[in-house]
Amino acid sequence: MLNTLMEAFALISTWEVIIALLAASVYGLVIGSLPGLSATMATALLVPVTFYLSPIAAIATIVAASTMAIFSGDIPGALLRIPGTPASAAYADEAYAMTRKGEAELALGAGVWFSAVGGIAGTLSLMILAPPLAEVALSFSTFEYFWLAFLGLMCATLVARSSPVKAIAAMFIGLLVACVGIENPGGVPRFTFGFTDLFGGIEPIPALVGVFAVAQVMRAMLTPEPPPIPKRKFGSIMAGQWRLTKKYHLQMTRGNIIGIIIGVLPGAGADMAAWVSYAMSKRFSKEPEKFGTGHVEGLVEAGASNNASIASGWVPSLLFGIPGDTIAAIAIGVLYMKGLNPGPTLFTEKASSMYAIYLMFIIANLLMIPLGIVMIRLASHVLRAPRSSIMPVIMLCCAVGSFAIGNNMFGVVTVATFGIIGYVMEANGYPVAAMVLGVVMGTMVEQAFVTSLIKSDGSILPFFERPISAILAAFAIGAVIWPVVVWLWQRLKRKSPAVTPAG
Amino acid sequence: MRLPDRVTGSFLVVLGAAAAYGGWLLPPVPGQPVGPNVFPLVIGSGLALCGLAITFGIGSTFEEEEEIIPIEGGAVRPPPGKLYGLRSLLPPALLLFYVAVADRLGFIITAALIVYATSAALGARWRLALPLAVMAPIGIHLIFSKLLRVPLPIGLLPMPW
Repeated sequence: MLNTLMEAFALISTWEVIIALLAASVYGLVIGSLPGLSATMATALLVPVTFYLSPIAAIATIVAASTMAIFSGDIPGALLRIPGTPASAAYADEAYAMTRKGEAELALGAGVWFSAVGGIAGTLSLMILAPPLAEVALSFSTFEYFWLAFLGLMCATLVARSSPVKAIAAMFIGLLVACVGIENPGGVPRFTFGFTDLFGGIEPIPALVGVFAVAQVMRAMLTPEPPPIPKRKFGSIMAGQWRLTKKYHLQMTRGNIIGIIIGVLPGAGADMAAWVSYAMSKRFSKEPEKFGTGHVEGLVEAGASNNASIASGWVPSLLFGIPGDTIAAIAIGVLYMKGLNPGPTLFTEKASSMYAIYLMFIIANLLMIPLGIVMIRLASHVLRAPRSSIMPVIMLCCAVGSFAIGNNMFGVVTVATFGIIGYVMEANGYPVAAMVLGVVMGTMVEQAFVTSLIKSDGSILPFFERPISAILAAFAIGAVIWPVVVWLWQRLKRKSPAVTPAG
Repeated sequence: MRLPDRVTGSFLVVLGAAAAYGGWLLPPVPGQPVGPNVFPLVIGSGLALCGLAITFGIGSTFEEEEEIIPIEGGAVRPPPGKLYGLRSLLPPALLLFYVAVADRLGFIITAALIVYATSAALGARWRLALPLAVMAPIGIHLIFSKLLRVPLPIGLLPMPW
C-alpha cells in the first residue's frame, strides 16, 4: 500500500503533470466563471488536448478543470445572479441576495471553502468505496453488467428534471447512435447507409462536444448578452469561513453525503446534487424563513454537495465504465484512449494510477483555495470579456478539436450534427444528459445483453438466477415502474375531487 | 425551436420503427439465435413506444417549466422577427462550411471567416470582430499545429512555423 502510494507520488511529480494540472485549473476557473459555458463543455473541449499528454497528465487536466469549473460557476452566480454553470443555478439567487446585502465576500468565500471541503469528501468516498466494490465486481458476469448498465440508464432518466418518457426516449436515441458502425456482435455494417466514415461508429467525444459546446453557441445566438459586472473591491474572502464551518458542520456533512450519493448515481451530476441539497437545507433548517433573503446556510450545504459529486462520479466510471455524470462520461472516453480501460481489475493491476487519481483530486481541491481567491479578485475583469469574443474561439476549438480526434473532417460533421440534435432536444424538453449516457454506454450495454442472451440460449430466466443479478434486476425494474406508479397516483388524486372537468 | 409534443413524438415513432425494421433486416450470425439484429430491434421498438406515449401527452405532467431568471437592468429584448430563430443554425452551418472549404482555403483563412461571422452575429462591432478574426486563428493554429502537431490544412496561407 505504502509502496503503491510512493509510486503514485512519483507518477504525479513530473513537470508535465504539474504544468497540466495548473494550466487546466486556470482554464477550468475561467470557463466555469463565464456564464453559459458549463463544466462539461470545458472538459469536452479539453479532450483533444489530452491526446498528446501522458495518461496521468491527461487525467490530471480533466480532474482539475472539472473541479475548478464547478466552483467558479458560483462567481457570476453571486455577482450577477447568472450561474456560470448549471451546478450553481440552485443557489444563484441566494448568493446574489447576499451580495446585495454587502456580503459578497462571505458568499464567495463559502463557495470556495465548502467546494474544497466537498471535493475532498468526495475524493475520500472514491478512495473508500471503490476498492471494496472492485472486489465484489470481480465476480460479476455479463448478466450483472447488463442489469447494472440498465439500472444506470434508468437512473439517468429518473433524475432528469423533465418528463420521464422523454428522458427514456432520449436515452434510446443515444443507444441508437451507439448502434451505428461495424462494432457489433455480427461485425456487419449497421446503419452506415454505405458511408465508410460511419463504419467505425460515431465517436462519443465529438458527439459530446457538439451537444454541449455547439448547442450552447447556438443558444447564445438567440439570447441577450448578460450585463457587465460592476467593478468592486473585495475584503478578506476567507474571513469567517471557519466560524461557518463550525456553525454549519451538520449541514456541510449532509451536503457532502448527498453529493456523494448523487454523484455515484449514473447520469446525475453536480447540478442535481446542488438542487437536492439546497432543497434539503431549506427543509431541515431551523430558520427556513431566511432562505432567499441572503442566508448562507443553503450555500454551505449545496456548495459542499456539488463538488463532492464530482469525485464520487468517478466511482462507477472507474469500476464499470458507467459514467456517474456527463463529466465522468468524458473521463471514461479519455481513460479508454489512454489504455486505462475501466473495470474492477484497474484497482489491482494499475493501483498506482488509481492512487495518482486520488492524489490529483486532493491536490486540485487544495489548489482551488488560493487559485479561487485570485479568480474571485480578478472576476470583474474576466467577466468583462464580451460573449462575442469568446464564442468564436469556442467555435474554432470545436472545429479543430473534433478534427484532431481522428484527423479527419468527419469529426467536424459529427460535431455540427450533434450540435443541432442537442439544441433541438434541449429546446423540446428531452434531457441531453440521458442521450449522452446512451451514446457512451451503448456498446457496453449491447455487448452485455447479447452475450448474456447467447449464454442463456435465448432464455430470459438466467438473467434473474444469480443473486446479485436478481437484486440489480429488482432495482432496475423498480426504476422502470416507479414513474408509472407516480403517474397513476397523480391521476387518481386528480380524479378523486371529480368536480374539475376533464382536460 | 419549441415544437409541439405531437410532432416530436411522431418523429420518434417513425425513427424507432425505421430502426427496428433496419435491425430486423440485418443478417443473423450463422448458428446463433441472436446477432447484430436484436439490439436495434429492442431499441427501435422502445423508441417507437416512447414516441407514441409522447404523442398522446403521457408524462407531460412531470415536466417542470424552465425557471428563467430575469436579468436585472438588462437591455430590453427587441421583438424577434420571423427569421430570428434561424440565427441559431449559424454555428453548425459555419462548421459545415469549414468542412467544405478548409482544405482549399487553408485553416487560417477559413477560421478567420468563421470567427468574424460568429462574432458579428453575436453583435460585435468590426473594431472587435476584425482583430479577433486575425488573432484567434493564429493562436489556435499555434496551439494545435505547433504544440500538438495536428495536421491542419495549409491551403493558401501557410504559417511561417
